[in-house]
Amino acid sequence: MKNGPIILAIFGICAFSTFAQQAHFTVSTKPVVAVGETFALTYTLDAQGVNFREPRITGFEVLSGPNTSTSSSIRSINGRTSISITYTYTYLLQALKEGSFEITPASVVVDGKSYQSDPALIKVVAGAGTTSQPQGRPGQQGQQVPEEGRSGGDDVFLKAFASDDNPFQGEGITVTYKIFTKVRLGNLSISKNPSFQGFWSQNLLKEGDQGAQYNQTINGEAYTVAELRKMVLYPLKSGKLTINPMEMECIAQVKRQSRPGTGDPFFDDFFNNSFFSQSYATVEKTLKSNPLSIDVKPLPLEGRPADFSGSVGSFTFRSELDKTTVKANEPVTLKFIVAGTGNIQLIDRLDVSFPPDFETYDPKVVSDFNTTTSGISGMQSFEYLIIPRKPGKFSIKPVPFTYFDLGRKTYITLLSPEYTLNVEKGTGATTGMTYSGVGKEEIQYIGSDIRHIETRPFLLYRGSMWFLGTVSYFLWMGVPLVLFFIVAILFKKQAARRRDTLLMKNRRATRVARKRLRKAEHFLKQGDKDPFYEEISQALWGYMGDKFGISNAELSLDSVREALQEKNLDTGITGSFIAALQETEFTRFAPGDKILRMEEVYTNAMELIAKTERSLK
Amino acid sequence: MRTSDRWLYFVVVFLSLTLRAPAAGIADPKAALHQANKAYNDGLYNDAVGMYKSIVDAGFQAPELFYNLGNCYYKVNDFSHAILWFERARRLDPGNEDIEFNLRVANSRIADKIEAIPELFYVKWFQALVRLYPVNGWAYQTILFFILTLLAASCYLLGNRIFLRKTGFWAGILFLSLTFCTLIFSVSANRQARGLHEAIVFDPTVTVKSSPDEKSIDLFVLHEGTKVHVLDKIGTWNEIRIANGSIGWLPDSSMEEI
Repeated sequence: MKNGPIILAIFGICAFSTFAQQAHFTVSTKPVVAVGETFALTYTLDAQGVNFREPRITGFEVLSGPNTSTSSSIRSINGRTSISITYTYTYLLQALKEGSFEITPASVVVDGKSYQSDPALIKVVAGAGTTSQPQGRPGQQGQQVPEEGRSGGDDVFLKAFASDDNPFQGEGITVTYKIFTKVRLGNLSISKNPSFQGFWSQNLLKEGDQGAQYNQTINGEAYTVAELRKMVLYPLKSGKLTINPMEMECIAQVKRQSRPGTGDPFFDDFFNNSFFSQSYATVEKTLKSNPLSIDVKPLPLEGRPADFSGSVGSFTFRSELDKTTVKANEPVTLKFIVAGTGNIQLIDRLDVSFPPDFETYDPKVVSDFNTTTSGISGMQSFEYLIIPRKPGKFSIKPVPFTYFDLGRKTYITLLSPEYTLNVEKGTGATTGMTYSGVGKEEIQYIGSDIRHIETRPFLLYRGSMWFLGTVSYFLWMGVPLVLFFIVAILFKKQAARRRDTLLMKNRRATRVARKRLRKAEHFLKQGDKDPFYEEISQALWGYMGDKFGISNAELSLDSVREALQEKNLDTGITGSFIAALQETEFTRFAPGDKILRMEEVYTNAMELIAKTERSLK
Repeated sequence: MRTSDRWLYFVVVFLSLTLRAPAAGIADPKAALHQANKAYNDGLYNDAVGMYKSIVDAGFQAPELFYNLGNCYYKVNDFSHAILWFERARRLDPGNEDIEFNLRVANSRIADKIEAIPELFYVKWFQALVRLYPVNGWAYQTILFFILTLLAASCYLLGNRIFLRKTGFWAGILFLSLTFCTLIFSVSANRQARGLHEAIVFDPTVTVKSSPDEKSIDLFVLHEGTKVHVLDKIGTWNEIRIANGSIGWLPDSSMEEI
């Protein structure tokens, strides 16, 4: 038990006598107790001892202990000063069942020598007796002492004080346990500690420290007041929180005010006068403090940042990066320091995000605090060791630290600066690996989210954007179809018309040719050679064009040959027709005697047309 | 011929107008869209939801619009609405990878995990084909191939050369079959998107009943964001089927149709 050494040396002239030189290690307890009774088992050592070996306690429930307390006294007798120290180890036991129990000896080492106590023999009887049986002898005073103990309730009491019973969640309050007494007290031990459920507590009195002691007058009575415990409490949740009372056991020297009546008024009167009433009784007392009720206000929800983690008080926040340019694989330290007053020790982590390629370790957390009556002030630092593994330029995002400022009643977020870390290529072999195929790394997925919205412009459809089955869909289908039919019909009509003209020309071909030949005959008789050849040529070409549907532009020796061959005419006719055409053209434009063969050309042309006509039928 | 040219011109202009009926309505939908995108980029997701919603309410449609709206709902952790709008977007653009991805992410955030019955392989292939193009893709292609068929037919019918006529004949047959294929795809894509009755559960927890009656036996429990197929409707009750094939009845009030 940590709170054991609560020392009240000033009250405690120890009830047990002390001896010099030789150390004594004794045990004392009540020889007879009732079932359910709470009593003390005390080991006393009149020297400075170490290594207290606990006894084996069977048949009793250990409520608390061993609580160690020390008292020292300085005595001066005839100019000789001696200092005596008393160590007591106290157990608070509760008898569970009837019977005789032996508690094995405890031992302690003083100056290298081991001392052993006697075993303690305790008889437990079935008891009507409640708690706090008087320690005194059974006998005539037996009934009075508890009465005095109760009447002495005003003489000694324990009280708890809270500096603020309506704090914010996370706001520190100071709770002090004070003992008020008018009598001398000794052997103080805490039997039940107050429970600080829902709080984070920090002792303000250091181990071995003594609380303040002073005199105070309450209702005209002078009390000596001592602070037993003083702690700062930080509520961890909001709502009504109760601190259960603290209970203590002590031995009080209570003034005996009444004596058992002897029936003799004189005698009674005599002993009840002031002089004789100076006698004291040693009473074991249980002290109980008042419970404290703390109504914790919740922190305002309004304006609470998402990263708020419960820090309340007033803080400063700074950070240090030891270097901004490093080689790969060289460690860098990044330090964040939170300093100020408040529940600073509850800051257990900061939201630091490093670039994923960094090797990072858990931060080294260093705390430095002073606990004062105004709470805890000091600093907490987080030192991150980071090792960049890849060269490049990396940025460490600003780290937020959010707290609730009690003075301003608002949330305040402090940001560390953004650091840019320039990592150069290291000399180590590992960085070289990056560039070879072997050292390639898998992509590390750090988070997952939906994809971003479509930000490129897109078509907005008014109403339904469905195309199938709409009017325009059917128009797109129907209009080309109608166009197709229109075009097809127009084409067909034109083709038919053209076929008609060709047929007519075909029928008229022979007639036209004959007409031309007759004209040629007329020129032949006159001996007019140039018009003659022209008529012959026109008769032959025109016949071909009309007969085979070849337009004037396309009319040539080749197209004529093609047309003749297509009709599968006798090759002889084809050949002679071509030859005739060639000859006519030649004779027409060549100089020389044209008259000689006019007769022959004429008959040849006549014959050719007749032959072709015959074979075409 | 000159009068028919003019008529043709008129028809083409008319068609182009009906096909892309330009959006006219709320002051300037383009600007509204831009504003909504900006709000989203700035992280004002609640505002962005309102802006996109007003564009949708004004009667505009686009897969991208629904997709963006779904994203906003996702960002404000309203997963059932996000799924609803992603599903609506997917109906308009079934093959879009972004929509598919976000829908999957949103579905991973809801309570119900239902094992879907695997589809037969040929159904899967057919679906994959149907989803190859955005909603009107197949319909546009039908038109394209139909017009090509007509051109080929004209070549065949009106061509005066043997080669032209042969080419026209075979191309005509090819284009005609393509026309029919794309018509089938477009009709089935259309039916999938419009004919399918699907809904998203919107109550945080809802009990599926065995018959359209509040007093009937409870079959199973669904949570918000789950997609159901609506098979039948009696009064305010819907017969629904979930992805694993279970069938039950749900009231109108606890779901919203996609």
